[in-house]
Amino acid sequence: MPSILSCTEISKTFRRATLPSVLLQDHLLRWRLHRKQQHVQALQNVSLSLRTGEWLGLYGPNGGGKTTLLRILAGLMRPDAGSVYRGGTLSCFFDLGVGFHPERTAEENIRFHNLLHGISGRESSRRMREILDFAGLGMFEQWPFKCYSTGMKLRLAFAAIAHIDADIYLLDEVMAVGDREFQDRCKDYLQSMKRRGKAVILVSHSLPSLEEICDRVLFLERGRIEREESVVPISHAVSALG
Amino acid sequence: MLRVVCAIGWADFVLKYRGSVLGYLWSFIAPLMKFLVILFVFQPLVGPAIPQYPLYLFLGLIVWEHFASTTYGCITMLIDKAPIIQKVVFPRVLLIFAVGWTNAIIFLTHVLIFLLFGFLLGVPPSSSLLYFLILLPQMTLLALGVGMALSAYFLKYQDIRHLWEIALQVLFWLTPVAYQYVVQGTVIHELANLFRESLSLSLWGFFQIFVRFQPLSILIHDARRTFLYAQTEGIPSPHHVLGTSAVCALIFLLGFLIFRKRSPYFVEEY
Repeated sequence: MPSILSCTEISKTFRRATLPSVLLQDHLLRWRLHRKQQHVQALQNVSLSLRTGEWLGLYGPNGGGKTTLLRILAGLMRPDAGSVYRGGTLSCFFDLGVGFHPERTAEENIRFHNLLHGISGRESSRRMREILDFAGLGMFEQWPFKCYSTGMKLRLAFAAIAHIDADIYLLDEVMAVGDREFQDRCKDYLQSMKRRGKAVILVSHSLPSLEEICDRVLFLERGRIEREESVVPISHAVSALG
Repeated sequence: MLRVVCAIGWADFVLKYRGSVLGYLWSFIAPLMKFLVILFVFQPLVGPAIPQYPLYLFLGLIVWEHFASTTYGCITMLIDKAPIIQKVVFPRVLLIFAVGWTNAIIFLTHVLIFLLFGFLLGVPPSSSLLYFLILLPQMTLLALGVGMALSAYFLKYQDIRHLWEIALQVLFWLTPVAYQYVVQGTVIHELANLFRESLSLSLWGFFQIFVRFQPLSILIHDARRTFLYAQTEGIPSPHHVLGTSAVCALIFLLGFLIFRKRSPYFVEEY
């Protein structure tokens, strides 16, 4: 099956000043102190390929390069070397509720969120009732976002991303928030995405979570893919037993 | 893309005043206070030499406020919209254009107040108002060009915001907002004279040349002679409009190129 998303020999180095300063005056007046730089190799010759309908997990310690890789795949960051191929529409969720404003109502926030993700106003209007029902805000729909409880905020944010349609999804720990009920809801949503044949790259610090749903897991450490494991997702095993 | 710019710009305009009791009036208090204080101080000094001085000052102030708030908005946009810039893939320059749109809306509300003010002082609206269709794009191109060049380096050098606040204070007094703008001929004619004469490049001379030829001075002067002194000074000639537009477009293009070159590194610089 052809790749829907792939990258070849991706490398990325961050150049950081040994004595960092974000002040122009420091760079002009004490330039000798601030010119010394150190290089941090975030990614080294990373290649991967994602097929249609495949679920790929990225696992590794903090600073391993997971988020940098995801950002490069999404197009948020440029690699120093290597290339990225995107063969379908892509949606990336690195956080819940991006673009939500405390003064806006639920409907306004959903509209703005959808706008940022390239969904037309007409399409937003068409899906609005469905999204608001999914979020289950009840009488609070017309209230400003700042009046919501943490749980309501998460539900609305999750409802917003759950209704964005794309071929490829890049998810960075977005499901690791909220209470048990919310996480169960996220898992149900992920399973439904999988049934619909969406291709996903999922980043998590929890290996059991990845093994539960992903077809393959890549272990990323010090900017390199150290190993790869093909797994039979627990979800598949359970359904096979059933 | 236009839809995104309009939606973000309008949303920012609405959200700016939502949740505050005074709403839009709150944003108008600062320029109004500035206007009253300058009028109180300068009216006895320069008022007698300038016909319709309150309107002269008001028009200068609203054009100045547009420039100051647009350039400053371009810089702070990178903080206000940080979650979007860091996590959503789309051209960052759209956020700059949204700042331009928000400030254009605010400027148009100020123009309405200017018209009301003018009507009360015996200057009724006329067909010269159409000149705003030329002036507003010129002002926007100039302010966005400067704003983009500044915001392109803001994440790398975060004291640019404070330095620009100081620069704006200096620039305010190097722009003929409150005092008389002395014109001895067309811009081209005066520039040619300057080159013919041997210039004394003292600080004082530099200030004089800067005040006379900086684009914002010219835009403010064009606005005043169109709306207040069309009969005595005449409206700007097509050559003048084209020349001024070309300078504003060039500044915009430079700012755009700098911003486009730097924007791929924004995510790394947060």
